[in-house]
Amino acid sequence: MKTTFNSVLYILFLVPAFMFAQTNVSGIVTEQSTSLPLPGVNVIIKGANTGTSTDFDGNYQISVNNGDVLVFSYIGFVTQEITYLGQSPINVQLAEDATQLNEIVVTGYGSVRKEDLTGSADLIKAEDFNQGPIVSAQQLIQGKVAGVSVTSGGGAPGEGQNIVIRGLGSLSLTSSPLIVVDGVPLNDGGVGGSRNPLNLINPNDIESMVVLKDASATAIYGSRAANGVIMITTKKGKDREFRFNFNSSIVISNPTDKVNVLNADEFRTLVNATGDANAISLLGDANTDWQDLIYVNDVGVNNALSALGNAWGIPMRASLGYSNQGGILKGDQFKRTTASLNLSPSLLNDHLKIEFNTRGMYTENTFANRGAIGSAVAYDPTQSVFSSGGDYYSWLDIYNLAPRNPMSELKYTDDTAEVRRIITNAKFDYKIQGFEDLTATINVGLDKSNSHGRTLRSIEIEDGNIDFNGSRNTYRQEATNKLFDAYLTYQKEFNEKHNLNVVAGYSFQKFEFDNYSYDSEREEDGNDFEFIDKSKNVLLSYFGRLNYGFEGKYLLTATLRADASSKLNPDDQWGIFPSAALAWNIHKEDFMDNSIFNELKLRVGYGEVGNVNGLGDYLFLTRYTGSQSTANYQFGSSFLQTYRPEPVNSNLRWEIGRTINLGIDYSLLNSRISGSVNVYKKETQDLIASATVDPFTNFGNRIDSNIGDMENKGVEFALNVIPFKTEDFEWSLNYNIAFNDNKITKLPFDQPVGGISGGVGNNIQIHTEGEAPYSFLVYQQVYDSQGAPIEGVFVDRNGDNIINDDDRYIKEDPYADILMGLSSNISYKNWDFSIVTRANFGNYAYDNVASSSAYLRRATDNNILTNLHSDYLTTGFENLTENNLLSDHYIQEASFFKIDNITIGYTLKNIMDKTNIRIYGSFQNVATITDYDGLDPEITGGIDNNFYPRPRTAVFGINVDF
Amino acid sequence: MKNIFKYLILILTIGFFVVSCHDELDQSPIDPDSFTEEDVFANASQAKGALAKLYASLALTGQQGPAGQPDISDIDEGFSQFSRMLFNLNEITTDHAVVGWGDPGLPDLHGMYWSSSNDFTEAMYVRLAQEISFSNSFIANAASLAEAEVQTYIAEARFLRAYAYYNQMDLYGSVPLVTEISTELPEQNTRLEIFNFIESELLEIESILPPSNEYGRVDQVAAWALLSRLYLNSEVWTGTPRYNDCVTYSGNVINSSYSINTNDANGNGTAYDELFLADNDTNGAQNEFIFALNFDGTNSQTYGGTTFLVHASIGGSMNANDFGVNGGWGGLRTTKNLVNQFAVNINDLNAALGTISDWGLVGDATLNSWDGPDMEMYQTGTNQYALYADLTAGEMKFRFNEDWGNNYGDNGADGSLEPGGANIPIANPGTYYITLDLDNLTYSAQPFTSDKRGMFHSDGQNLEIEDIPPFEDGYAVTKFRNVDSNGNAGSDSGGNFTDTDLPLIRLAEIYLNYAEASLRGGGGDLNLATSKINELRERAYGSTSGNINSSDLDLDFVLDERSKELYWEGQRRTDLVRYGYFTSSGFLWPFKGDSPGGTSVGEYRNLFPIPANQLSINPNLTQNEGY
Repeated sequence: MKTTFNSVLYILFLVPAFMFAQTNVSGIVTEQSTSLPLPGVNVIIKGANTGTSTDFDGNYQISVNNGDVLVFSYIGFVTQEITYLGQSPINVQLAEDATQLNEIVVTGYGSVRKEDLTGSADLIKAEDFNQGPIVSAQQLIQGKVAGVSVTSGGGAPGEGQNIVIRGLGSLSLTSSPLIVVDGVPLNDGGVGGSRNPLNLINPNDIESMVVLKDASATAIYGSRAANGVIMITTKKGKDREFRFNFNSSIVISNPTDKVNVLNADEFRTLVNATGDANAISLLGDANTDWQDLIYVNDVGVNNALSALGNAWGIPMRASLGYSNQGGILKGDQFKRTTASLNLSPSLLNDHLKIEFNTRGMYTENTFANRGAIGSAVAYDPTQSVFSSGGDYYSWLDIYNLAPRNPMSELKYTDDTAEVRRIITNAKFDYKIQGFEDLTATINVGLDKSNSHGRTLRSIEIEDGNIDFNGSRNTYRQEATNKLFDAYLTYQKEFNEKHNLNVVAGYSFQKFEFDNYSYDSEREEDGNDFEFIDKSKNVLLSYFGRLNYGFEGKYLLTATLRADASSKLNPDDQWGIFPSAALAWNIHKEDFMDNSIFNELKLRVGYGEVGNVNGLGDYLFLTRYTGSQSTANYQFGSSFLQTYRPEPVNSNLRWEIGRTINLGIDYSLLNSRISGSVNVYKKETQDLIASATVDPFTNFGNRIDSNIGDMENKGVEFALNVIPFKTEDFEWSLNYNIAFNDNKITKLPFDQPVGGISGGVGNNIQIHTEGEAPYSFLVYQQVYDSQGAPIEGVFVDRNGDNIINDDDRYIKEDPYADILMGLSSNISYKNWDFSIVTRANFGNYAYDNVASSSAYLRRATDNNILTNLHSDYLTTGFENLTENNLLSDHYIQEASFFKIDNITIGYTLKNIMDKTNIRIYGSFQNVATITDYDGLDPEITGGIDNNFYPRPRTAVFGINVDF
Repeated sequence: MKNIFKYLILILTIGFFVVSCHDELDQSPIDPDSFTEEDVFANASQAKGALAKLYASLALTGQQGPAGQPDISDIDEGFSQFSRMLFNLNEITTDHAVVGWGDPGLPDLHGMYWSSSNDFTEAMYVRLAQEISFSNSFIANAASLAEAEVQTYIAEARFLRAYAYYNQMDLYGSVPLVTEISTELPEQNTRLEIFNFIESELLEIESILPPSNEYGRVDQVAAWALLSRLYLNSEVWTGTPRYNDCVTYSGNVINSSYSINTNDANGNGTAYDELFLADNDTNGAQNEFIFALNFDGTNSQTYGGTTFLVHASIGGSMNANDFGVNGGWGGLRTTKNLVNQFAVNINDLNAALGTISDWGLVGDATLNSWDGPDMEMYQTGTNQYALYADLTAGEMKFRFNEDWGNNYGDNGADGSLEPGGANIPIANPGTYYITLDLDNLTYSAQPFTSDKRGMFHSDGQNLEIEDIPPFEDGYAVTKFRNVDSNGNAGSDSGGNFTDTDLPLIRLAEIYLNYAEASLRGGGGDLNLATSKINELRERAYGSTSGNINSSDLDLDFVLDERSKELYWEGQRRTDLVRYGYFTSSGFLWPFKGDSPGGTSVGEYRNLFPIPANQLSINPNLTQNEGY
């Protein structure tokens, strides 16, 4: 029977072949940009039900008749149709789909075609990433996405990056977005000794990043997504022949700018003119620029090797990376080794897809003593580094609290840490056999980091205490985040019109922190002190999402997430966060048939998300903290551990953000022009802020409470243009601009924030109703006719004839009103050129370096000499007073335009059997245009104090693909 | 069928996992230093740690010494320590002290121009309110414990709460009276209501507190002593004089087991300085301490307390090692007003001796060397002469009427005089009390012992303050030291933190309370008062040379005596307010009212303002008049 059947089949196939003179045609399909073979490309005959797909090497073979139309299609590439007219072989080069409508965007617990998106999601693919000496994933998208501000904490290698999406959304809580790596939402913070938690990921391993901005897009992540979500997808294994990529570069960093202080001659003149005999006798003969001494040039390296292909039948990708970069502060060093492995096997006839990712990082940090930055500003420029006896010059024998010699600070502090982090996840997608519309997914993840660090202060270090024995602090910290997700996805198309995708699931995350530190004199010698800090919290969630599309024109997304956090009182711990969004693909309407639009989509969405990220654990419980051994209390002749009740707030509940977003996505003229426009308004309600409480009613004077409301509203505009495109020459432009207005709309009590140095307990900023958070609260300086500030004279704004706190007024805030990014890529034949620029407007900064160190008395105070900031030459201030510190003289506009990066590359294609080589040079932090007088206008939080200068870097590298 | 069964198992397994995870939402602290109320109040010995916190929150600033886990926010932790703030508010605001640091809000205190947003007045308000909240919570929780000693704990907590309220009332006047933990914003009570509460609490616990207690913990006598203080100031605070009650309770304290320290453990001629040494918990001083804050260089570290008093006083030419610490912070000094309290006026002393005579001192130890005119002696009886004289090192002789015809010297240095005898050597410069007995032909030349309570460093310092910030202006105070009676430094080998305990109430003060209340009509025994004051003066002088008669006793004398006995111990402002001197023009000191010579300020400054932040949090509060 079986044989008969086969025979019949054979005849059925043969007959037509015979009848229509069918022939076999073969060929190879490659990627246009790289000339690499493309496996898995669908090759079908139009109108017929026959087809095949390419093998690992991009080869295919198919039977055709003359006049048949062959259709070559592959996700993410422009489909090509070729009519068979007897030619053979038919080799095809597929170009990437510039319209990107079919791009798959990862949205959390699933993915969706860009065309079917209803929310605001920006996809940035690897080829669009910023280039340069990048060790942190966040920098890859700096300036690339409208409304997303990425600011480094300073110029140290591997420094942390502060990301804010669409303005500050919280006061006390974390206002950074949730970062999800291959489906594993990461911990909020890092561990001690680590510079940046995202240093874990080698930027070379990242395939794409998706920034989810509005609540209808983020709501599926519920409470962790209040400030947006950044989804990082790493490169995956592919089912094809093994290819290798090797990237190596050297990074040269140079200091660019330093704080303006008096030079030795200016200082000498000043002391001679104003100091007493004692002060004058202390002057040295040297001309020392301490800032020149502490900053150095550095040469570092970055190497990365990756392999991608099919091994033993399993698509896999593996990579190794090594970076070694120094900082410009003498002694700073950052060494990182990363490794990653991805396996993506399919089993049970593709019914069970497994994705296994693991990546690990090992970092060795050497932290230069950053105290030297401030000391170098303060240190007397007339002294030499060494005194005549050969020791480091020191003031400490005169004054116990004198600044330390910056060079001795750098030399005698030894601060190192090793950080290990691993993120592993295994995701199982099981398409139920016999009911293929339904997929069950389980994702199990682990994110674990630990650090071991030590800070040693040598016995040689200058210390007011002649008996100083050296000190040693060792610490280890561990953070563990365990994830278990289980969800079902039902995907079905009905009548080729109705497209339904429903997801329902459950997620559990447990976060554990375990910190230990140990202080002693020198190695293990006396005055020991142990400190343990542990905590744990749990987040438990149920979620559901419904996507419905009608003819691909009308799209609906609705999500619901219920989250419970152990941080909240059991009565208030559940939060339910819904969202809904509608989109209309206008370009699919019949009336748009001949329009210039490739895409025109109108979106409207509304969503609610909660936030308790960054909130302390157990704040709702009455807890007692035991005293450390250095804070016990003597009863009789023994010392008792004491117990302190902690401030308690049993009424804490979810901070809720409600966002409405209206957007248009557009693409026209064959996708030569594309982009989006978004208008949004986000109201944060029950804002959690550190609130002053009446100490008669609690166990302290501050506690986190739900006390206010805040609003962010804004407009974002993104534009991608390809002005020229020929075979040899392509020029593309990316421009984005975002306006954001951030305001606290309700806050019963003003909250002073923004502690500054130069005295104790002074705050320069305030959270107050009707103003932006972190607004500067200052005295209005009075100036003389020459424009110089008159010391101690301020405007009596309330007219009561006394100058006190009531005369302070709000002057601006540190956050930009307008963020702008402009980048451009040009490729000509084998040359490529890119430039990335960025501008912030309307951001203000408080120059704390000037305010705390530009007054005459400082020069000779405490019987020692201390240098002054050059602003003294403008102000001539004599004393440091609270009012002077809080003068609006020190608030300056810090708008800027920066050329972040310029890169030039040259690619040699197909030399030696499919090997491509690219050689490139890249310059980072090329230029800054600003009116701001301080070191750098880009200051997170707006208080400029002892900032680690961002270096200018040059990178020369080679990338070999073989 | 089989497949369905397989799915069912899978679903059940996942379902079970999901449900069991719900239990994980109940998290409780896992930190080894974190405890629940059940842990802390499990039994009396655990609760003792909570009691210790009530004491510690006056001595330390948080759960990690010296800083790191502060009790209160919004102020530098070191500044937030209770006795350091008490010093800032009660000593720096007076003639007793100036501070050179420019920390915003700090110069305002001596200049008497503080505002309602002053960081230090606010932090003190918060610190005391927090102590009251801690105590309220302790009293409520400990009540459930059955052990007998817990009753003492509770009484101690009530004492500490009363002490905190005592300070709140003294500094801020009308404050909320809160005795239970509640999140309700409290109403403001009158100063009289606070006064009555403190009084009734102390009267109730007087009989619950034991007659004596472990070192560092309060007993019955402490309740009496605080009552003594309360009644002494009652007229100022409530308008009703209670000097009789002050006399009564001061009498109770005087008759208690506490005694003035007379053990001159370091042998420097007075037992006064022992009160402020690193071993003042064992050197005898402890017998005088009714309520003290206990510090320890290793176990109880803070940047306040005596660590502050010792370090901040050191500057200029002072050698930190002499004080048992690693360096000076160069901040605190005093005005000439305090220094002059201790100045000896030889002319007054001599005038009191008798009438001037023709016998005199001559020699290179005397004022005009061998040439005369001689330093004339005073006749104290027939053939008896005496003189207080400032001498330099050298030699001298006695002679009559500036003529060598009748002179005496001492052959063989045996104390007996011979006509024309050998010159009498004076080894050291200083003030001497010299007697001449012509009946027996003997003499004496004793260094004159003055009041040793005046402990100043004058080398390189100017008595006059021209400008407050430079350390050279004003004498430095050397009263507090971190060395023990043998001269050894305290237990912190790093020299940062001191062991010296700080008395908040000690017996000497109660003596003075008794005297003052008696003089103010409290019906006390002025002879007893005189003898008690002489007890203090004998210790101060190391002899009876400074003793007084009851006729010397008047209110200003007592105030001066308080200044000399108790300076820098946190009481000066309260004393000056009681005497009506704090704001008035009748009593000035350098830079009072921010004027170099001193000037009066508004009378409303007898009280500090309710902190502006507290007013905005609690609308029930009304600001003190004038602010």
